[in-house]
Amino acid sequence: MSAEDPNPAATPTPCQDTQGDGRWMSLHNRFVSDSKDKEPDVLFVGDSLIQLMHQFGIWRQLFSPLHALNFGVGGDATQHVLWRLTNGELDNISPKVVVLWVGTNNHGHTPEQICSGIMAIVQVIKNKLPHARTLILGLLPRGKSPNPLRERNAKVNKLVQEAVSSLPHASFLNVDPGFVHSSGAISHQDMYDYLHLTPQGYQAVCEPLHAHLKSMLEKPAEN
Amino acid sequence: MSGDEVNPAAVAQPVEDVHGDGRWLSQHTRFVQECKDAEPDVLFVGDSMIQLMQQYEVWRDLFSPLHALNFGIGGDTTCNVLWRLQNGELDNIRPKVVVLWVGTNNHEHSAEQVAGGILTIAELLTSRLPKAKVVVLGLLPRGERPNPLREKNAAVNSFLRSWLPRLNHAQFLDVSGEFVHSDGTISPQDMFDYLHLTQTGYRNLSKPLSDLLLQILEDTPEERRASLI
Ligand SMILES: [Ca+2]
Repeated sequence: MSAEDPNPAATPTPCQDTQGDGRWMSLHNRFVSDSKDKEPDVLFVGDSLIQLMHQFGIWRQLFSPLHALNFGVGGDATQHVLWRLTNGELDNISPKVVVLWVGTNNHGHTPEQICSGIMAIVQVIKNKLPHARTLILGLLPRGKSPNPLRERNAKVNKLVQEAVSSLPHASFLNVDPGFVHSSGAISHQDMYDYLHLTPQGYQAVCEPLHAHLKSMLEKPAEN
Repeated sequence: MSGDEVNPAAVAQPVEDVHGDGRWLSQHTRFVQECKDAEPDVLFVGDSMIQLMQQYEVWRDLFSPLHALNFGIGGDTTCNVLWRLQNGELDNIRPKVVVLWVGTNNHEHSAEQVAGGILTIAELLTSRLPKAKVVVLGLLPRGERPNPLREKNAAVNSFLRSWLPRLNHAQFLDVSGEFVHSDGTISPQDMFDYLHLTQTGYRNLSKPLSDLLLQILEDTPEERRASLI
């Protein structure tokens, strides 16, 4: 990538309504409107892994009590989340913690581009919500058997972890409880389609995440 | 549709692994394997609408007890389901009922073509499983507000309503009426992204569906059950 080439993963981009039912924009508009009525302490932002979490009992059990809002949109890549956050989703709320989980849908982007996309989102959150801290969740492995996307996601995690280490307002959390078995396989008991989590998979991810969030909310500030 | 043209929605096609993690084929392979180990009375086949159902309590409460298998794959079109069924997913099982729900992802195809693709799958099912009943679920409306895809899905349903009675063992169950409010909107309480169902959304359609399945299973005569063993 030459210096003049903009990074597509870090360029705010709305999702094109190729199918014609306007669902992506409907979701964004709903989130903007939700943000006017609610006073969340925790905001979850990201793709389907965030979105689906909201559909299962684990959300009501662990995160609703923390006053959490869920702004997950299935299929979103970093550039889509970047667009949503710069276009109203952060304008009426002041959460203490933003949980960010996005990047596995950035197909065609390099790990470096994806990391920069994630860091661009962190910067937007910092600008819009100067008192909030961002918790970036590590990308999970995907696919039943070892494959290039697992390697890509692992590389993104390594880069993001390095990038946030010096930032007081952001941190990285690896939430993979060990989804890859010693055989190299991921079980459909954890990821029903080898990407999206089952309720059992969410439980393994969310219990440590919940503990981490509680301690973040109790402590006034990191560094 | 004129007789000479090939309906592209009725052409069996695997999903191309464009992302490179092989997930689609891994799921198909798992389903073929499950056929060898399980003896389902009910088989659910289709796209994410079928697939997600299994992740909610409603599956455990209403459908697991019927000895059901779930062969749903997110994003599948009629072409993809046809390919899966022709390539091993029916090879070792003899369910009494097959629930088929697919078509809302056929973005390249007209309503008539989509209905034709669904009909082709239903025909394949009735010919491969001559003793089974096939329940075809009507496509749901989608999008928060009225839009062309809602009209298309409704048109698919009208074709199915008129064509499916021609097939002896197939029937159509239209549950689409539950979701659009009087102001034309669909609620996120029913469809969290205006396409996929919430637990509440699934509850709306699961009652009529499980009633129908129970009725079909009860009507299956004992001697036929014995012959299926
Ligand atoms: Ca830090």
